[in-house]
Amino acid sequence: MTDDDTVHEDVWVFVEEHGGDVAGVSWELLAKGRELADETGEDLVALVVGEGVDDVGAEAVERGADRALVADDPVFEPYRAGPYGDQFRALVEERRPSIVLIGGTTTGRDFAGRVAVPADAGLTADCTELDVDDEGLLLARRPTFGGDAMATIKCPDHRPQMATVRAGVFDAAERDPDRDGDVEAVDVVVEADDALSRVLEREVGDVADITDADVVVAGGGGTEGDFAPVEALADALDGEVAASRKAVDEGWVEPARQVGQTGKTVRPDLYVAAGISGAVQHVEGMNDAETVVAVNTDPNAPIFEHADYGIVGDLHEVLPELTDRLGGRSPPEPTA
Amino acid sequence: MTVDADWTIVVPVKQVPDADDVTIDPETGTLNRSDAPAVLNAPDYNAVEAALSLRERAGGEVVAVTMGPPFARAVLETAVALGADDAVLLTDRAFGGSDTWPTSLALARAADELDADVVVCGEESTDSSTGQVPPGIAAHNGWAQLTYAEELEPRPDDDELVAVRDVEGGHERVAAETPVVVAFEYGENEPRAAGLHRKIYAETEFEPEEWSAEDLGISEQVGLVNSPTKVGGMDTADPVEREQAVVDDVDALSDRITEVTADD
Ligand SMILES: Cc1cc2nc3c(=O)[nH]c(=O)nc-3n(C[C@H](O)[C@H](O)[C@H](O)COP(=O)(O)OP(=O)(O)OC[C@H]3O[C@@H](n4cnc5c(N)ncnc54)[C@H](O)[C@@H]3O)c2cc1C
Ligand SMILES: Cc1cc2nc3c(=O)[nH]c(=O)nc-3n(C[C@H](O)[C@H](O)[C@H](O)COP(=O)(O)OP(=O)(O)OC[C@H]3O[C@@H](n4cnc5c(N)ncnc54)[C@H](O)[C@@H]3O)c2cc1C
Repeated sequence: MTDDDTVHEDVWVFVEEHGGDVAGVSWELLAKGRELADETGEDLVALVVGEGVDDVGAEAVERGADRALVADDPVFEPYRAGPYGDQFRALVEERRPSIVLIGGTTTGRDFAGRVAVPADAGLTADCTELDVDDEGLLLARRPTFGGDAMATIKCPDHRPQMATVRAGVFDAAERDPDRDGDVEAVDVVVEADDALSRVLEREVGDVADITDADVVVAGGGGTEGDFAPVEALADALDGEVAASRKAVDEGWVEPARQVGQTGKTVRPDLYVAAGISGAVQHVEGMNDAETVVAVNTDPNAPIFEHADYGIVGDLHEVLPELTDRLGGRSPPEPTA
Repeated sequence: MTVDADWTIVVPVKQVPDADDVTIDPETGTLNRSDAPAVLNAPDYNAVEAALSLRERAGGEVVAVTMGPPFARAVLETAVALGADDAVLLTDRAFGGSDTWPTSLALARAADELDADVVVCGEESTDSSTGQVPPGIAAHNGWAQLTYAEELEPRPDDDELVAVRDVEGGHERVAAETPVVVAFEYGENEPRAAGLHRKIYAETEFEPEEWSAEDLGISEQVGLVNSPTKVGGMDTADPVEREQAVVDDVDALSDRITEVTADD
């Protein structure tokens, strides 16, 4: 099964795009991919799949790619695992990358899990650190057991070495309009009618980026659906509103604002967790915050172990008082 | 082709250590999973529920499958107690050390063997949480996949399953041809409780079928040697140092926040 003797080189980043909008995590991976490619002395290649996406390829070059491979066809919009997977497989077989990085979004994970199998690739999920050793072997570090342990995963005998990374783990690559690189249109190998599925409707809402915020105020189950005090405090602190998965599942807050293992990683100076219990899967997304403040009615809530300052109390009282002290607008009456 | 509108719905379920009880051996860096009681992966309750609900609407049967050591049969009993009609244990020393590539191969072969129309997985496991097994099963069999599904609508007469999927910041409705592999989103339905009679049956009478790697014809394709990824080392995550100071009043908290946000 090993194919050691064939040469595999270059670091690829899958640039996730929906209707022309690029997922922010793709630019984060370009920054990381640039570091890895510089270390191994290889090229950084952006893979762009979609319809009318030449400009995305050009932007990827401005953000650090040496080359962009663009597969442009109506069959690729909206995303479906089948057509994307077949195209990816053809490109991998033809061009043999050594490393492929993919954003750990719902789409990225759907795609990565599909393509790793026919490519005979090793795929490491949700990496938080990526490095290469002297032989170009990818060292992928990832949390397991809800973040209690870190595992280093290698893929010694199979290429490509693939990894997914959740949004917010790395800083995004900046745009530099002076950077040069090729944007190459590749042959599309997919027929419109071999797809096993068809998208009937698609509705994309808020794609807020909470990963760059200096202040994040997050609410959880304890809000009981009333996010007004959370929003008012975020406003007073010029921060972003975020949420636990519970609050997102209840439909109180958009998924783009979910913090945690299956949401985003945030690294603000200040993270306020209001009415959030502190489950491991949540804490994993906020552990890198500089200072954590917790507001919870339960003195035994695990969140207090992960907080610098905690206050035992009802968030519907504590947050408005805090907002007041911090010079924010007076909070609106609860809408319950 | 059988003329059979009823669906065979296969639910892969995973046994995981109870999250709160996993310890790491500081000498070897390996996990002491044996200390932790083994339980059904929490998201798989949602998968079982989704499968039972499909059975109620489409007709057919639900078969739970797990790949693991012999004692993993406990999660099959749980699935049967919840309402699964039957269950298969994939167990063999040859499976040891499998990463997601061979794990999804074994489950794919089992699903094929069972003539599955629909495979309903959980979103991800609570221990290694890759979420790679469901799309892996679909890829091995060349079947359609519907990951991050929140709602399912069976259309057995059209050999189709329609799902509402969570896509970043939104939703889509997708129709997929059967056979299809679903990964059902954690928390998106209310798993039923096991009925008493069913529970007694599962614990006392029920025996799962057992299949080996050889039965599935994949002895040479599974296990550690056939896994592209290797766990190179494991260590405890450095705990983040926090003050853990509980303040008594909002004034004190407000002062702290002002200090923190004035820093930069
Ligand atoms: C595979 C998997 C992935 C997951 N991924 C994530 C993830 O990415 N992010 C995430 O957040 N979770 C995730 N979870 C879910 C996680 O395990 C918890 O269920 C979730 O974080 C709970 O959210 P919560 O703390 O807001 O709600 P709850 O558990 O309902 O806790 C509410 C808290 O609010 C407190 N409270 C109640 N009323 C008040 C009040 N008036 N004022 C102040 N406090 C109050 C309560 O004491 C309690 O501590 C995942 C779970 C699984 C299995
Ligand atoms: C510390 C550590 C890190 C690891 N990291 C990786 C990695 O990055 N990449 C990799 O390829 N492998 C990895 N593995 C191996 C991986 O844990 C196993 O292959 C595992 O059996 C399946 O992966 P999962 O738990 O992530 O499944 P997931 O894909 O998260 O599970 C999703 C669903 O698939 C079904 N399912 C999964 N496993 C089984 C099963 N055994 N029986 C029945 N149904 C099942 C369930 O419905 C489950 O809800 C790692 C193992 C360890 C110990």
